[in-house]
Amino acid sequence: MTVMSNSEFAKRMMLLARPAQQFEPTATYDPDGDCIEFLAKPDPFYAERVDDLVTVYYSQETGEVIGSLIKGVRGFQDQISKTMPGFQIEIKAGRVRLVHLFRSRLWTSPAKANDLTTLVYEKLISVAEESQVETDLCLV
Amino acid sequence: MSSPEKSRREYITLSAIEPKDGTLTCQILISHERMQAIVRRGMGHVKECGNIVPMILEKPTAIFEGLRLDEDEDRRGYGWRCYCGVPEHSYRADGTEGRPYPGQVYLVFVNDEMVAYNWRWEKADPNNPKLPMNHEDRFKERLL
Repeated sequence: MTVMSNSEFAKRMMLLARPAQQFEPTATYDPDGDCIEFLAKPDPFYAERVDDLVTVYYSQETGEVIGSLIKGVRGFQDQISKTMPGFQIEIKAGRVRLVHLFRSRLWTSPAKANDLTTLVYEKLISVAEESQVETDLCLV
Repeated sequence: MSSPEKSRREYITLSAIEPKDGTLTCQILISHERMQAIVRRGMGHVKECGNIVPMILEKPTAIFEGLRLDEDEDRRGYGWRCYCGVPEHSYRADGTEGRPYPGQVYLVFVNDEMVAYNWRWEKADPNNPKLPMNHEDRFKERLL
């Protein structure tokens, strides 16, 4: 296995980059982390844990919610299929709109309407809805 | 065990500090798919990945193992690591360089197969600006 030097790695990343490329919101499932990462804006961000499922991303520039990391996707998917069997209807060819994942979590959560957790989920729902992003789900 | 989807993935390898002896002998993988996903986010994220991530792996202020919170470890137990450090720079969305964010650290999360799958800025411990907030409760063990 060849180890890449730091400068080679930085150079490789720069070669892959396309400066003029227009940003589009994305939600990507990563099997290495069993997580879905959602980003609605290209801003640099910092992260804060919301609960055992979601870490929210805040823009370093504006403080707005601009994305999230959903962890433990296999377990969550398994849990949804048991508690909300009708959710399967929303999965089309292995893909689902991200907003449905946030909603399903909120609807099965004991959090109250004015809890900070609920408010963050509502904001994430709004950002995901506006972005219209879909994500792959892993195969359980 | 790797799923068929995972086994098709290709990776590049970076050097990292081995916490047992402090040498640069640990090898961390980053998938090509992850690199491509970062590229789609724009120049700021490209430079963060290309410059900050390798620096944190080589010069961490701390390495933690056993990510305690569910969102960090997916209930898979020991073996998952978090490399923590304070970068020399931050990068704006257009890729221009700025100062590091005050009161924040940079974390690189590594799974039990030594694949770095996530990296990000987080708030630092107010009592120790080189460590992440709540590090005492968040990790099972500090290796470095």
